[in-house]
Amino acid sequence: MMRWLAAMLAALAFCGAARAQAVDTGHLTAELVSQTQGIAPGQTVYVALRQKIQDGWHTYWRNAGDSGEATTLAWTLPAGWKAGAFVWPTPRRLPVGPLVNYGYEGEVLLPVPVIAAADARPGQTAVLTAKASFLVCKEICVPEDARLQIALPVTAAPAPPDPTWAAPIAKALAAAPRSAALTAAFARRGQAVALGIVGGPLKGADVRDAYFYPYDSTVIDHAKPQGLDRGPAGLTLTLVPGYAFQGGAQPKALAGVLAIDGKAYELTAAPGPLPAGAGGLGPPLPKAALGGSLSLLPAALFAFLGGLILNLMPCVFPVLAMKAASLAAHGGREQAQARRHGLAFGAGVLAAFLALAAALIALKAAGAAVGWGFQLQSPPVVAVLALLMTAVALNLSGVFEVGTSLQGAGSSLAARGGLAGDVFTGVLAVVVAAPCTAPFMGAAVGWALTQPPAAALAVFLALGLGFAAPFVAVTFVPGLLARLPRPGPWMEVFRRVLAFPMYAAAAWLVWVLTIQAGEAALARILAAAIVLAFAAWLLGLEQRRQAVAADGRRGALGLLGVALVAVATVAVISPPYGQGAARAQAAPRADLAGSSYSPEKLAALRADGKPVFVNYTAAWCVSCQVNDLVVLSTRPVAQAMKRDGFTYLKADWTRRDPAIAAELARFGRAGVPLYLVYGAGGAQPVILPAILTQGVVIHALDAGAAKAG
Amino acid sequence: MGFTRRTALVALTALGIAGPALAGPQIDQPAPDFQATDASDRVRALADDRGRIVVLEWTSDACPYSHKHYDSGNMQRLQAKARRQGVVWFTVMTAPRTSAEYMTPPEVRAWKRKVGSHATAVLIDSDGRLARAYEAKTTPHMFVIDRDGRLVYMGGIDDRPFTDPKSLKGADNYVADALADLEAHRPIAHPVTRPYGCSVKYPPLS
Repeated sequence: MMRWLAAMLAALAFCGAARAQAVDTGHLTAELVSQTQGIAPGQTVYVALRQKIQDGWHTYWRNAGDSGEATTLAWTLPAGWKAGAFVWPTPRRLPVGPLVNYGYEGEVLLPVPVIAAADARPGQTAVLTAKASFLVCKEICVPEDARLQIALPVTAAPAPPDPTWAAPIAKALAAAPRSAALTAAFARRGQAVALGIVGGPLKGADVRDAYFYPYDSTVIDHAKPQGLDRGPAGLTLTLVPGYAFQGGAQPKALAGVLAIDGKAYELTAAPGPLPAGAGGLGPPLPKAALGGSLSLLPAALFAFLGGLILNLMPCVFPVLAMKAASLAAHGGREQAQARRHGLAFGAGVLAAFLALAAALIALKAAGAAVGWGFQLQSPPVVAVLALLMTAVALNLSGVFEVGTSLQGAGSSLAARGGLAGDVFTGVLAVVVAAPCTAPFMGAAVGWALTQPPAAALAVFLALGLGFAAPFVAVTFVPGLLARLPRPGPWMEVFRRVLAFPMYAAAAWLVWVLTIQAGEAALARILAAAIVLAFAAWLLGLEQRRQAVAADGRRGALGLLGVALVAVATVAVISPPYGQGAARAQAAPRADLAGSSYSPEKLAALRADGKPVFVNYTAAWCVSCQVNDLVVLSTRPVAQAMKRDGFTYLKADWTRRDPAIAAELARFGRAGVPLYLVYGAGGAQPVILPAILTQGVVIHALDAGAAKAG
Repeated sequence: MGFTRRTALVALTALGIAGPALAGPQIDQPAPDFQATDASDRVRALADDRGRIVVLEWTSDACPYSHKHYDSGNMQRLQAKARRQGVVWFTVMTAPRTSAEYMTPPEVRAWKRKVGSHATAVLIDSDGRLARAYEAKTTPHMFVIDRDGRLVYMGGIDDRPFTDPKSLKGADNYVADALADLEAHRPIAHPVTRPYGCSVKYPPLS
């Protein structure tokens, strides 16, 4: 009867759920809360010490850092019951002047596993008592105690989750540092201690905010920043050693928590050589310095500006000038027609950009390290482009015509080529524009390629709009169209003159191909070009014959010409090309003694505190070649490099190179050029603009060297 | 945009250069010299006490850890014993004038009388220079300097990093150990230990 009454009272008092009383200790409120409404005999459930800390005050982690004291919980449990240790959530760094503590602010749950006695009797209620001791600090520290209790009904079967606390406790447990397959080792490096960590969870993680919280308060200087060097398989943290390293001593292990990318892992590092792949790629850039800090609107704006400027780049200008000349032929007479042609050109540009973007995104998704201009890293593409340029040049020279010619342009636009011709010009313009990176474009495209496909496409669309805008604008604004020079015999001369930049472009692509694929490729492309020229001459012959005969019948000469074009094209695509001497391209020009780039070389130079200039370039990148020629290989720049003790590294992206692509991506870029000035003393690099001047480079070099002093 | 990015990088670079670890106090190396004013407005310099053992003790009247040692008389007994051995004992109070912890010289003198301190002097380190030179972290944080001016001990006062006065019972007092080792010409058994206590209140760097 008495027992029944007690059970009844217990049931009334606890309503079948865990009950506890919160205690206000002065600067925090503490209570014990349970994951479940009860506990079965032998079952393990998590009970958490909940702290609601006053604003501005904090309590401490298991290692309190430079000062302070960890929260403790001393249990008084019924016979046969057990409680484990806290599952410590990852703490925060709490700076106090020049000191740093590890602890918690606001509300925090410290879960503890509680194991019920195997012989606990269902129906009874177990009262678990614990004395919690906190050091609560703000400016001053106050030790506070609380005697806490929680009553857990013992249930025959595992009890249902507590409606209030099950989810928060589960969340705390899920977020707590977990053991992971990490391999770690530490070694003295001069005054510092290097902690190298590799393992699966680190691959692809954003390591920017990586931080090591040691369990022992004597192994590192908590207040000092932790230097970060990324590696292919993990990272290396450079720590300022704590008391445990005084006088040449060394702790047996560094154990603690690595907080990284919103997650936390437990690790134990033994003394010894650092694991392979733990470093060598340099520190990550702070978020603010990355293209990653862009958002869609500014990125699209930059892309638009970049597209505009792209019109003026040497690889694009001849094509557009040719197009503009055809418009000029019409003066302002046929507005509606002109508009239609402008729009067709614009559509061609946009279609080409979107196709390029889609290809880039797809390749990226497939894991390929590609970027802007990536197609030019493929020798067959370069070879075909070289033939295309040759064909365009031959056309401009008047060897053959496409559709009708500029000569007939005096009549009506509609009579010529048709809209398909304009779309083709748009596509052609984009194809030949790829080697050029305009200012503003680098950051925008780099950003786009790290975004979801929709945002990336939006940026490429903006780029295309910017690229097409000047030409389309001309067709839409009667005033502009009227301002173009009147047609006349000069146009034929103009056309012949424009052929030569195109021959130059073709010659340049042949050079690129030779660098990529060696001398054998040179013979091949020249032979193909001669066949192509012969075919073009045959086509021209046929066209003239038809113009006279006007029988509209395709002659044998024309067919032979088309066949030879096909032969020339196939000949440069297949069989595959061999390896060229791309590295030879890095051979120093005149005054600039440089050496080729490798991440290891850069890391070694930076570790020695030497200033380094890195030139990310490619033979197919026109902006790069112009910068090389006009700025970097000039005597004043070479002298400044020498004077300031810079090592000049050339990172050649003419052919595919995942290491260089990764470095470009790290700086938010998807293409070359990229110029980095690493100042003396291992500092973060300064990014130079895409269009260099001697002044900009020399100023940056002097500034980089000055930092050493 | 390019400009702001570059500016940010330059700023970061400058920070990176400013950040290399300064060599803090090192065991068996000359202890950082200092000049500080005590509660009687007398300037005390470490160099003046060459030839004598010097103990530096960081304390704060607002810190429960310091209170554990003063309220129990533990610190005063240690001071008295050390002074009998001829040790110079400087108690250091680091707190900016703006902080609630700061005590004026008359307040410090009153505090010294009240707690019955046997320290040679209490140094008022309101600009934090002394604390920075020794990288003092906690109250208490203890330093022992030998007769040649070399730092021979730094760290906690004992092995009981708790506020509970009961924790004093059976504690291993590292400062007493170090002084005994010096007297006996033995190597210091634990030259470096973890300091524990409240954080030293550094004034912000101007």
